[in-house]
Amino acid sequence: MTVRNVDIAVLGAGPAGMAAALAAAGGGADTVLIERENHLGGILKQCVHDGFGLLRFGEKLSGPEYAGRFVHMVREAGLAVLTSTFVAAARHDSEESVLMLVDRSGVTELHAKAVVLATGCRERSARQVMIQGTRPAGVMTAGAAQYYVNVLGYLPTTRCVILGSGDIGLIMARRLTLEGAEVLGVFEAKSTPSGLSRNVAQCLDDFGIQLHLSRTVTRIFGDDRVEAVETAAVDEKMRPIAGTEERLTCDGVILSVGLIPENEVGEALGVPMDPVTKGPVMDQNGQTQVSGVFVCGNAAHVNDLVDYVTESGERAGAAAAAFVAGRRTHRLLPLMADSTVLLYAVPQFVDMDAPESGAVVYFRSGEELGVTVVEVTAGGETVARHRYQHLRPPEMERLEIDLNRIPVSAGSLNIGVESAAAAEMTS
Amino acid sequence: MSRRSQHIQQRLQQQVEPNISCREGHDSIILEGIVDNWAQVVRAGKLAAHEGYKGVVNRLAIEGLTLPPPRSPKLKDTALDGLHVDVLIVGGGVTGCAIARELTRKSISVLLVEKEDDLATHASSRNNGMIHPGIEPHPGTSKAYFNVHGNAMYDTVAAELGIPFTRCGSLILYQERWERFLGPLFMARARQNGVPGVRLINKNEALSLEPHLTREFSAALHMPSTGIISPYLLTVAYAENAVQNGARVSLETMVVDMKVREGRITAVGTNRGTLFPRVIVNAAGCYADAVADMAGDQFFTIHPRKGEIIILDRKKGHLISHVVAKPRLLQVKSDTKGGGVNRTIDGNILVGPNAVEQPFREDYSTDRDHIKLMLQRYLPLVPELSPADLITYFAGTRPATYEEDFVIERSQYVRNLVHAAGIQSPGLASAPAIAEEVARLTVGALGEVARVGDNPTFDGHRQGIPEPERMTWEERDALIHRRPDYGIIVCRCEGISKGQVVDALNSPISVTSIDAVKRRVRAGMGRCQGAFCTPQVLRIIGEQNGEQLAAITKKGGDSFILATETKTVQRAS
Repeated sequence: MTVRNVDIAVLGAGPAGMAAALAAAGGGADTVLIERENHLGGILKQCVHDGFGLLRFGEKLSGPEYAGRFVHMVREAGLAVLTSTFVAAARHDSEESVLMLVDRSGVTELHAKAVVLATGCRERSARQVMIQGTRPAGVMTAGAAQYYVNVLGYLPTTRCVILGSGDIGLIMARRLTLEGAEVLGVFEAKSTPSGLSRNVAQCLDDFGIQLHLSRTVTRIFGDDRVEAVETAAVDEKMRPIAGTEERLTCDGVILSVGLIPENEVGEALGVPMDPVTKGPVMDQNGQTQVSGVFVCGNAAHVNDLVDYVTESGERAGAAAAAFVAGRRTHRLLPLMADSTVLLYAVPQFVDMDAPESGAVVYFRSGEELGVTVVEVTAGGETVARHRYQHLRPPEMERLEIDLNRIPVSAGSLNIGVESAAAAEMTS
Repeated sequence: MSRRSQHIQQRLQQQVEPNISCREGHDSIILEGIVDNWAQVVRAGKLAAHEGYKGVVNRLAIEGLTLPPPRSPKLKDTALDGLHVDVLIVGGGVTGCAIARELTRKSISVLLVEKEDDLATHASSRNNGMIHPGIEPHPGTSKAYFNVHGNAMYDTVAAELGIPFTRCGSLILYQERWERFLGPLFMARARQNGVPGVRLINKNEALSLEPHLTREFSAALHMPSTGIISPYLLTVAYAENAVQNGARVSLETMVVDMKVREGRITAVGTNRGTLFPRVIVNAAGCYADAVADMAGDQFFTIHPRKGEIIILDRKKGHLISHVVAKPRLLQVKSDTKGGGVNRTIDGNILVGPNAVEQPFREDYSTDRDHIKLMLQRYLPLVPELSPADLITYFAGTRPATYEEDFVIERSQYVRNLVHAAGIQSPGLASAPAIAEEVARLTVGALGEVARVGDNPTFDGHRQGIPEPERMTWEERDALIHRRPDYGIIVCRCEGISKGQVVDALNSPISVTSIDAVKRRVRAGMGRCQGAFCTPQVLRIIGEQNGEQLAAITKKGGDSFILATETKTVQRAS
């Protein structure tokens, strides 16, 4: 068994982890980037569609192209990278984190002064959304279907339904259609799509695939392979309505019913989680409530744009490097989201003692809204405000705040929608 | 018609359906006629049970309902045609596999046939892995005897077969103060059945054993002999050890008929040819009555009682260690015994099971209302559990007879047939003891036509597939040095390595499907439910078995994971 010491261990070499590792190393810290798969790039490796990097590079890149640029930077920077390496256990002691790494050469006990969690997210499974019936082959998550088609070069189904209108589901509707499979429709239990509007237009509308809102898959039939599904309309509490059942013959069910941040290592390190985002409670630089453990990307909360994932990785990596370089004080103000209009806002805390005065707040609205002014207030002052043409839950919004504008007396920050009258005046 | 059967017929006609008729045959009572629904079928069967007959043969049909035939293998060949063996075991569940291993202690030829592509695909993998203490069965029943004796054998069995087992103990919680007065009744039952160490404990003591339990109870019955094991791993281990000792296991092999002459089975037809066994053991689970019928010896009927079980994330495994149940005493029925929560040997928490009478023997579909009801009823036993911890759920069917007891005996009418039937709960706990008894009966039957000696090379020890998660870091490091594949993790949720998958594929009983690998090494059993690892396992199966990816199945038959290749471009060479 080998014992190794580093300043910073970055867990996960997707877009968040690569950005974090580059920033951490750039900040002068001895950094190692750890990836459980045998290639860098994370889920981007299988996302052959385009649309990545519009904000970051001003270009429409495919997933592998976007990842490729960072892989190139990682190589150029000469970063220490461990691929096919799995964190089998983790614990946090007062001064460091200890990670038990497993790879082909054996077990390594890695002592890291700081850890950046960039472990991404996973997809919810069929049973987690209460699908009943049998358990035949042919039921899979959209991500697994994407792997089969784009990486292995196989069609996992010839005629399928897609449950859930998450982005990967929409993208797979198009991808499967292009590869010659028949997509009978996309079923969404909610009354609005879960994915980006551009994906609904480009992946469904352009291919004549129907989106059935307020309708779900309730039952799967088939012993060996899926033979049919039962769909049903649902009420506002998403319970199936008796009498609305319809049976569709198909050989596959593709699920895109939500993503869950993967924080098993974070939990082992004792990092407290936010029940809403399912990611760690953190400040604007990804510092969790365990000193020296940082989080970024989809492990922190599920993003819809890779550009924001990269941005959060850079912040967390730089903050980890600063943490290793020397301890400083923290003064945390909670950021409270108005839950009547917002689904959530992150970070959960803003660290007033952070060296950079700029901080980024990301939020999602709870429902579809038209023209809306969102503002961040603190101690009676408006710290930031922005007018949006529309807000939709699937589309995460970004708002920058300047810490210098926050009154010293402020005990918290609040983010919410400006009152209608005020909004009227500004428009 | 005897007065007794006439009396039963009258009762059934009055209480269930006027057109039911009864007759006698093979010391049992046979019910015939057409009824409206399954509830009537079950009710009639139960009313006819325990009326002095050996068993109930319930041939009642339901108006407009044709039951599906058993799931059958696609395979048809002559691989086994003309084979003579000393003993043929029908059924590769835990009972059949334990019997196979027990029989290899003798120097006889043993063939076990299983119609599925793997062992333990029905009741033996569709339960909560509990090794019952033996307090539930009525004193004097087969169940009571085999349960208590089987339970006591588990430390040895698990150690020999190289699989993890723990005596976690179980707690039955009492809500009301008056329920404590049932304690002495249970103590008396424990004494009668011979269950060791049972104690009535107060709330504080129960909470010291299980600090995360609900506070909503007043006292508890503690049964320390209750254990937990992986039921599928146990079944596979029994079968592998049998094979190591000379038995043969033939998967995808289904018995379809039998030739019976002068009270002996002379030939057994399968989809892989005709077999000529000297003795046949019927361990056919939910189809044991059909196998008995093939031999002309049906004196019992299986009515499949479905049970659903919910699996929670291993993250919450630390919350309990005992099997915990809180029966609703005022509503308790003997056949719907209380479900609860328990921790599997791998650390997941299971919730359930329930018990639902229904006609389909291999219908493992689940029901939304049942799942919701179990979450509502059982999660409060451990308040820190939440529905968000759910990762999946599944169903199984218990092969229950109307007498609700095991049928373990030599056939009275067919000299070379031994039944191990009606093995519902606590069949897992009973398996080692049932195997001993059935082996004794089988050797007895065989001894009438052949000389049976001991197997001098029998070795009951089996080396399982290494489980890195149960090793120290030093052991794990050394294992990876010997076998670098053990350092490549393919199932991230359960931390399962490529080495384990490779070893499963190369184990003594060759398997090729995704589910068979999962049963042996847990790849795909975690919180992502195989979303990440199924493609990896698929690749390893393809690589190890030299198989096209599109030919690999989830569970044999036509359960292909993939449909076709996306683009098949012919490259010029």
